[in-house]
Amino acid sequence: MSLESRLRSTLAGRTEEEKRVLALIAGFLSIVLVLVVLGPVVALTGLPLPTLSISFIISTLAIAGMYLLLTLGLNVQWGYAGLVNFSVVAFWGIGAYTGALLTGAGSPHELELHPLYGLVVAIVLAAVLGFAIGLPTLRLRADYLAIATLGFSEIIRIIILNEEWLTAGGLGVGGMPTLVSTWPLSFTTPVLDPIADLLGAQTRTVHDLVFVMLLTFVVFLLLRRLQVSPWGRVLRTIRGDEDVAAALGKNTYWYKMQAFVLGCVIMAIAGWYYAHHVRFMTPAELDPIDTFYIWVAVILGGSGSNRGAIIGGFTVVIILQGTRLYNDFIDSILFFLTIDEAALRLLLVGLLVILVVRLRPEGILPPQREHIWPAALRERAGEEGEQ
Amino acid sequence: MSLGQGEGYTYDGADLEKPNQLLRVDALRKAFAGLVVTDDASLAVEEGTITGLIGPNGAGKSTLFNLISGFYKPDAGTVTLGGTDITGWSPYKIARKGLVRTFQTPRKLEGMTVRENMLVGAQTQAGESILPIWLSPSRVLKDERNNLDRAEEMLELFALDHLADEPATDLSGGQFKLLELARAMMADPDIMLLDEPVSGVNPTLAGTLAEHIATLNEDQGMTLLIIEHDIDFIMSLADPIIVLDQGKVLTEGSPDAVRNDDRVIEAYLGGDGT
Repeated sequence: MSLESRLRSTLAGRTEEEKRVLALIAGFLSIVLVLVVLGPVVALTGLPLPTLSISFIISTLAIAGMYLLLTLGLNVQWGYAGLVNFSVVAFWGIGAYTGALLTGAGSPHELELHPLYGLVVAIVLAAVLGFAIGLPTLRLRADYLAIATLGFSEIIRIIILNEEWLTAGGLGVGGMPTLVSTWPLSFTTPVLDPIADLLGAQTRTVHDLVFVMLLTFVVFLLLRRLQVSPWGRVLRTIRGDEDVAAALGKNTYWYKMQAFVLGCVIMAIAGWYYAHHVRFMTPAELDPIDTFYIWVAVILGGSGSNRGAIIGGFTVVIILQGTRLYNDFIDSILFFLTIDEAALRLLLVGLLVILVVRLRPEGILPPQREHIWPAALRERAGEEGEQ
Repeated sequence: MSLGQGEGYTYDGADLEKPNQLLRVDALRKAFAGLVVTDDASLAVEEGTITGLIGPNGAGKSTLFNLISGFYKPDAGTVTLGGTDITGWSPYKIARKGLVRTFQTPRKLEGMTVRENMLVGAQTQAGESILPIWLSPSRVLKDERNNLDRAEEMLELFALDHLADEPATDLSGGQFKLLELARAMMADPDIMLLDEPVSGVNPTLAGTLAEHIATLNEDQGMTLLIIEHDIDFIMSLADPIIVLDQGKVLTEGSPDAVRNDDRVIEAYLGGDGT
């Protein structure tokens, strides 16, 4: 099969929007490639061009995985069910601090448990707290959940900061073990370490990158299956009009609860990963603005679409990290302005949101397919093909 | 039969003695911030009939629908469906018990096709719970297959099959009302409550809708309770007609009897009946 025919068969059956997004991704990857190639060129000639190192790409992707999990989690709540959750960073923090306190050498509790304990406790804790918030608010109008979660987020941050006996407070918690070097994943290190050496990257970062990308992929597959199921269809109906769903016999309160708790659990898993990735947690990490970065990512990608969540998540990471990387380059272009880079980052995110809302209010890649069980649709397509 | 003295004329109330009462409402009362909207309303719907519910603006027709279908909780009184007391039940439980309603204003579901809309109507689908999606996908597939077949049949019945792939938001007002009917049928109800099925629908499509409703009643034995402002439409379709005025049942009778009842004309024209 020639390259061209293979390309054609991949593109067949894709919608126009999907093709456009594929073209965008291809264009972006080309730019990345050029920047990587420019690295040695600049090293030789000393030209003032932007470059990109492979180790930077790897460490960015290892963080990006966490953002993707958070975006996927919020997409379940807002994208599937229309629930407004402003405590993304709180559930992320619950996961991170649970992992840190149970496993960290620097934890005040000196437990130093295996990371799997941290994962299980983080999931249970996020589920219980998510349920507790949902219990009184999900029966009410949507704005009450928004208010409750906004308050909850601050409560969690302040508890972590002030309850020193529990969380070590402002000192932070460190010394968490890495995930891949511990059982049951340690068998992968003989394979991954040579790859890391080859790329000239830190072995630990490569471990984490592979781990978080696999984790994200598994979560993505699980969520996609849920979305095209009758379960996902009911949630979409609730998002459209809750009364219609109730009038058709759906227990809307219970469905909203499921979506809310599921999203909270995914966010906690993202935090758990982060604690073992950076291996040092402080209360300052629970910055409320991160909640809104995740919101931007979901809306940007296309609410309700898992692939959109991935694209939106990547876009936000690229803006956040890219502006850090090219500070000097941007300064040299905009030499006539004295700009604070952090402000520039916010400005860019703001501009992007305005552009998307103006030009593509439904996001970059909104849901493209019907919410119908894929196996049943395939059967149907088969029947029609035979006729 | 509940007799009451109205403002200037006598409230006969509805016929509560009829046989085979599928739906029965007794002394239902609802007040909003002191304003009594439903004032001891009692009525009965006989199985297999198309019962019309008319009344001037503000008579409390939609409130009565919301009370029956569980969207409002009554202050007093009872609602009985097929012999079961369903007073105060959640809307979804009432729907599962066999009473499905439509809404006065079209409520379109953003981003869903006509076919997806239909599939939401089906009850007790295995794939609506998280666990079977993972543990018994074959059951999910079987249900989905059956529901797709049924959706196709229903869409054909309502002459919407050519629109199955279209976003439901693209349908015209009349087509959407048809879709709502077809979707309600997916739930396999015992009784349907239609809130102004032809409001905002052009006369030709209103005729089509009337035919479809009549067919549902005759061929499938569906019981219907219909609120409608279009008097000609409801008079030609429904028998009996229940007249609601100021939260109470004024009278009930055949279309001709109601049409010739002075109190009905007065209620529509006279406001407070003085």
